Amino acid sequence: MKILVIEDNVELLQDIQNFLEEEGNICEIAPNYKSAYDKIGFFPYDILIVDISLTDGNGLDIIRAVKRENIDAGIIIISAKNALEDKIHGLEIGADDYLTKPFYMTELNARIKALYRRKVYRGNREIFFNEIKIKPESYEVFVQDQLLNLTKKEFDIIHFFVVNKHRLLTKEAIAEHLWGDHIEMADSYKFIYTHLANLRKKIAKLGGNNYVQTIYSVGYKFTDRE
Amino acid sequence: MKLIKKTNTYYLFFLALLFPIMLGVDYYVIQYTVNYEVEDILLHEQQRINYHLAENKELPSSNYLMETKALHSNKNLLGVFRDTVIYEAYADKNVPYRLYSFTATKGELPLRVTLKHVLLEINELIWWLFMGTSFILLLLGIGFYFINKKIYTWAWNPFFENLSKLKSYGVTQEKPIHLKSSKISEFEELNEVVTTLMEQVRKDFQNLKEFNENISHEIQTPLTIIRNKVVLLLGSGNLDKKELKLMQTIHQETNKLSKIGKALTLISRIENQEFKRLDSVDLCAMVTNIVSNMEEIIQFKKLQIDAKLDTVVIECDHVLADILFTNLVKNAVQHNTQGGFLNLQLNQEKFTISNSGEMPEVEMERLFMRFQKGNPAKDSVGLGLAISQKICEIYGFRLVYERNAKTHSFSVFFQ
Repeated sequence: MKILVIEDNVELLQDIQNFLEEEGNICEIAPNYKSAYDKIGFFPYDILIVDISLTDGNGLDIIRAVKRENIDAGIIIISAKNALEDKIHGLEIGADDYLTKPFYMTELNARIKALYRRKVYRGNREIFFNEIKIKPESYEVFVQDQLLNLTKKEFDIIHFFVVNKHRLLTKEAIAEHLWGDHIEMADSYKFIYTHLANLRKKIAKLGGNNYVQTIYSVGYKFTDRE
Repeated sequence: MKLIKKTNTYYLFFLALLFPIMLGVDYYVIQYTVNYEVEDILLHEQQRINYHLAENKELPSSNYLMETKALHSNKNLLGVFRDTVIYEAYADKNVPYRLYSFTATKGELPLRVTLKHVLLEINELIWWLFMGTSFILLLLGIGFYFINKKIYTWAWNPFFENLSKLKSYGVTQEKPIHLKSSKISEFEELNEVVTTLMEQVRKDFQNLKEFNENISHEIQTPLTIIRNKVVLLLGSGNLDKKELKLMQTIHQETNKLSKIGKALTLISRIENQEFKRLDSVDLCAMVTNIVSNMEEIIQFKKLQIDAKLDTVVIECDHVLADILFTNLVKNAVQHNTQGGFLNLQLNQEKFTISNSGEMPEVEMERLFMRFQKGNPAKDSVGLGLAISQKICEIYGFRLVYERNAKTHSFSVFFQ
């Protein structure tokens, strides 16, 4: 998919670009309002990632322009402001999602993929990882075409893993994905650990491989690479 | 004491002081005038008698004549005024008279003539004077009162208008204050001073607020970069266990820094009264929702939940209510022991949440202060209770913490 990232911090801009390109996307960048405005007028994008506070303008104006000119692109706001009004306002004028800084790249990735699936495939798209098949719209996971019996949180975990395959997922990133950033409990890490163990067992029972690698004290990786 | 009451009291005080003085002055002035008039009449009568005696050689009839006395010697006595009282049978009392004695000449003989003129009765005079003066003073007093009242409302009007403007003005407002100008130079001066002062305070406050907001926003972008680079390093697979630990510490502290920034922004936003909405919040639904959001963790810790929730609706900002109750529930879950209990109780009077748990290491009074942690080992920043306290403060709720051997409970008393 084709993504435009609008963010005034060049370092962060490049980090996001690198990450998204590694994920196999075409990613263009705009460090300010003007270049962003020029780009959305000329090229079609699937997803726009918009920082609200830009040095030469407001990201919300870009969203308004996109909506005014009927450009069909999914919009994710990334903002340093963690204010509910900003979030509501952003979503009201037509943004699809709102992510508060600091965010994990893996979280941004999951949000982009979910948005893209909703927009382009109307949600009807299965995600494959070797013998594992995920149907996000019905919260179902199949291992070698057999339905895996999962709790809601277990589904969220495996979905998050598969979307961010081969990536390190820190336990903080997983906890944030599952509960939002206001949960800061040591218990949540234990919870993740226990549920991952359950998940492995359930997948193994249906003849699936164990793709979860534990990175010592840091987190996990879902990968079939060594 | 109100200004009008104060000035009126002073007026009354001075009137009371002036009253006897005025009475005394009145008395003497009137007495003097009356005597002077009487003397004038008597002197005039003397001249008439003298003239008559010179022309007709005999005493004319006079209403004022009291007595005549032939003098033997021819010494010319001067005219003398004096006061006396004479018993008057018709009134059955002594009546005061002014007497004037002078020497006239009847033919060749000197004649001592005494004239009299009735004087006003002194007691009556005082009485009427008292009444008259009192009446005047009463009129004056009432007049002063109404004039004063009129002046008070009219002249002080700009002052009171500005006072009420100042009362309703808060430094959190973004617009500068505009005071009503007045033709009275003292008020105008006061307005200038107050406006300058308020403007300074408002600017300082705005600057501080902006600084607070900026700093906690501006750190979030660099923190995003730091954290993502750290995650990249952590995931690179090139680090040994020791280096992984170091990177992990950086990662955790970055998270903490970001949370501190967010929490401080929230506190200052609450302090700035930026949450002004009054929603009708159904606490029962809200608490149930919060608990169900943490259901997995609660099940995971094998906590026994006992919830007695009545339907309670309070008026407050939905966002703040959510933060307050999420904090309390989260606290109770977080500091709970494995297999402990969690009791929730909600009624019209209060919300109480109690949980099993170890004794916190921090003293009870310090628990609500910023950056105080019940357990330093835990991964929190210690701002949750400070935030809860702030939220309770702005709605006039009372947040109470109680503990005994192995139970902790927080209660929010509504009103």
